[in-house]
Amino acid sequence: MSAENNTDNNTVTLTIDGKSVTVAQGVTLWEAAREIGIDIPVLCHSPRMRPVGVCRMCVVDIGERVLAAACVRECAEGMTVATGGAEVEGHRRVLSQLLLSDYPDHSRREATTGDDALLELARSQGIVEIPYPEEPAGEGAAADDAAARGEDDSSPVIHVDHQACILCDRCIRACDELQHNDVIGRTGKGYTTRIAFDLDNPMGQSTCVACGECMACCPTGALTDKGLAGIRVERKG
Amino acid sequence: MELLTRMMALQEEHGAVTDEVLRALSLETRTPLYHLEGLRGFYPVFRSAPGEATQVQICRDIACAMKGGAGHCARVAEALRDLPGVEVEEVSCLGRCDSAPASAINEVPVSGTPAEIRAYAAGDTPLPPDEPATPNRWPTDPYPDQAARYGVLRKLLAAADGEAGRKEVVDTLKAAGLRGMGGAGFPTGMKWDFTARAQGDPKYVVCNADESEPGTFKDRMILEELPHLMIEAMVLGGWVTGANEGIVYLRHEYGREKKALQAALEAARQAGAIGPSVLGSGFAFDLRIFVSPGGYILGEETAMLEALEDKRGEPRNKPPFPTNHGLWGKPTLINNVETFAAIPVILHKGAEWWNAQGKGDFQGLKYLSVSGDVADPGVYCVPMGTTIAELLDICGGVPGGKALGAFAPGGASSNFLPANKADVPLDFQALQEAGSMLGSGAVIFAGEDRDLLELALNVTRFFRNESCGKCVPCRVGSHKAVALVEAALNETGPNAAPRPGLVGLLGELNHTLARTSICGLGQVALGPLMSVIENFPAAAKRLENTAAKRLDNTAASRLDPGGDLEKDGGTDKKGSGP
Repeated sequence: MSAENNTDNNTVTLTIDGKSVTVAQGVTLWEAAREIGIDIPVLCHSPRMRPVGVCRMCVVDIGERVLAAACVRECAEGMTVATGGAEVEGHRRVLSQLLLSDYPDHSRREATTGDDALLELARSQGIVEIPYPEEPAGEGAAADDAAARGEDDSSPVIHVDHQACILCDRCIRACDELQHNDVIGRTGKGYTTRIAFDLDNPMGQSTCVACGECMACCPTGALTDKGLAGIRVERKG
Repeated sequence: MELLTRMMALQEEHGAVTDEVLRALSLETRTPLYHLEGLRGFYPVFRSAPGEATQVQICRDIACAMKGGAGHCARVAEALRDLPGVEVEEVSCLGRCDSAPASAINEVPVSGTPAEIRAYAAGDTPLPPDEPATPNRWPTDPYPDQAARYGVLRKLLAAADGEAGRKEVVDTLKAAGLRGMGGAGFPTGMKWDFTARAQGDPKYVVCNADESEPGTFKDRMILEELPHLMIEAMVLGGWVTGANEGIVYLRHEYGREKKALQAALEAARQAGAIGPSVLGSGFAFDLRIFVSPGGYILGEETAMLEALEDKRGEPRNKPPFPTNHGLWGKPTLINNVETFAAIPVILHKGAEWWNAQGKGDFQGLKYLSVSGDVADPGVYCVPMGTTIAELLDICGGVPGGKALGAFAPGGASSNFLPANKADVPLDFQALQEAGSMLGSGAVIFAGEDRDLLELALNVTRFFRNESCGKCVPCRVGSHKAVALVEAALNETGPNAAPRPGLVGLLGELNHTLARTSICGLGQVALGPLMSVIENFPAAAKRLENTAAKRLDNTAASRLDPGGDLEKDGGTDKKGSGP
């Protein structure tokens, strides 16, 4: 990571927020920023996983027509990256607001492990108002709308709240790529997209082995530990 | 391709890809169930239970909504309601905007009033013939007769110096300034050059024949009437870039055009223009058709590649681009139907000839799909640089003696421009400077009495409906934008809660979608809506002048850290569904 490596063909040197950094080829902008102590917010990304760039929270300005998702964009020689600024941060707030507009009133993650990444991010962004309608309106939306996404209580271990799912695909990668259990995927399309188990079966009737990896990786209240929810009540008493 | 093709065949056989069918397929192909569910849930062609014997699809998009009038889909559905064995579905643009309002009965295109559609569905009126039309002569076909076809390919392959020939092709395309006609306008010569230089083996040539944007149907005509030009250019593309395999990614709704393409492929095979040794040169090139399982997003080139790899058709993060990292991660040349079909005449007559075909300083010829409020909708081949006003004259003007109100020059994703900009020439740069784009070359005319906000809402709904759902801004943002505008226009929904500042809010949302979405769909989804708001001040007023009911902002309470979550242990859920 030092400047002496600059002549090495296997490294690239770029500027992130005014700081020059030299990294190995193939390193992403998000990783390079982290090397120099810059945290770019993410919801879908986890260093344990293949990046997918779907939440777009990590967008950064590299002077192109559109912003780049730092988690998937590889560093390139001479790139100039701005990880913050009014525009970028404004977009991140809009993305948070969009996700929150459909989010349940109470996050099960806050009530169990207490680490809801979406709410934590929104608080850090100072969001106090959500200008988008909570319930989907209009023709064609009613039958499949978010409110109808519902919950799945069929697993003895894991509670599924589709309404709290932000489709970050972490559980999908956890199940299929980290644990190789091959149970979770996306089904549907567009706004009606959901995570699904096997052939869209209830989790408890799917081939899920309840390993808990999906639940551990979930950043929101979508996949939570049923046991912890019970423990919490006792602790309160 | 194999898996999706199998699923389509299984659906044909069983009437649906039921859970039982998919479980058997999963075991046989060793594919996880979730993967099959992901495909079944994503592609509109698949269904999980068999349907009625007669399937009626009604187009709900812009050209058909204009011609059919308000509530057209509902009126057709109502007219068919009591017919036994008939299932009705509203669908996205069928690509028959020239015969709007379009419907399809068991995938046979029909057009007409609700009563006429009912007569077709009931079997009282026989369905129209679904066979390719007799081809017309078009100015981009350099061949006087069938025997002369593939002449450019023959000449190039016969030349002693292949490398010089390949260079000549790329140089000529660059000199002709040919750009991608699918909508993005990327320079074709550069794309061929990049793919030729890219390292990787094998390479592929893919023709994007998934034209699905409302108002766009010129590729449909080329597939039906000039498929040999597209085939010839694909073979040439393989020869120039070093690919031996070509795939035509054909939109599902083009059944009639598929027949024409199949016949042309057979003729090409017989003429030796495709096969193990193209025209005896020793260069092998084969070509197959892959019929899309449906959806506008598959026209996005990387979504198309995902579909060809049997995945959900969700656009990839770019870079890398397909020229280097395409199908199966290999270099892939992807061009649109019209782009490919323009290449033989350019190579036959030269870049200078092509450039001279444009008006004034503009270069080349352009196929346009013309629809909306126009006397003679259809496909027109005009010189680049023809103005919108001239085009409207050629197409018979606005019916009923009305004046032009507005136009969208490049399909549903292009910004609406007011009639006073009708002197803008059809050209990539000129239209961009005028605040819109040439896009797919689909010109939609709107008469002076059209409710432009309604038209803009229609196309915004289209993008919402066709969003793949991969990334947050497009998936959620397009949906919320539609909900906000519908509420403001007091249409339907429990949240009819417009408020002052809506225009600003939509502008902010548009900016976020444009800058953070993964692909072009999300990036342009709100563009047409904003163009109407910006170019037609009365529309913006209508959005904001409605009753200023404050949005009930209970949602903000969710951010109260801890707070009410403590009160009920976080188990009190709203809307617990199945």
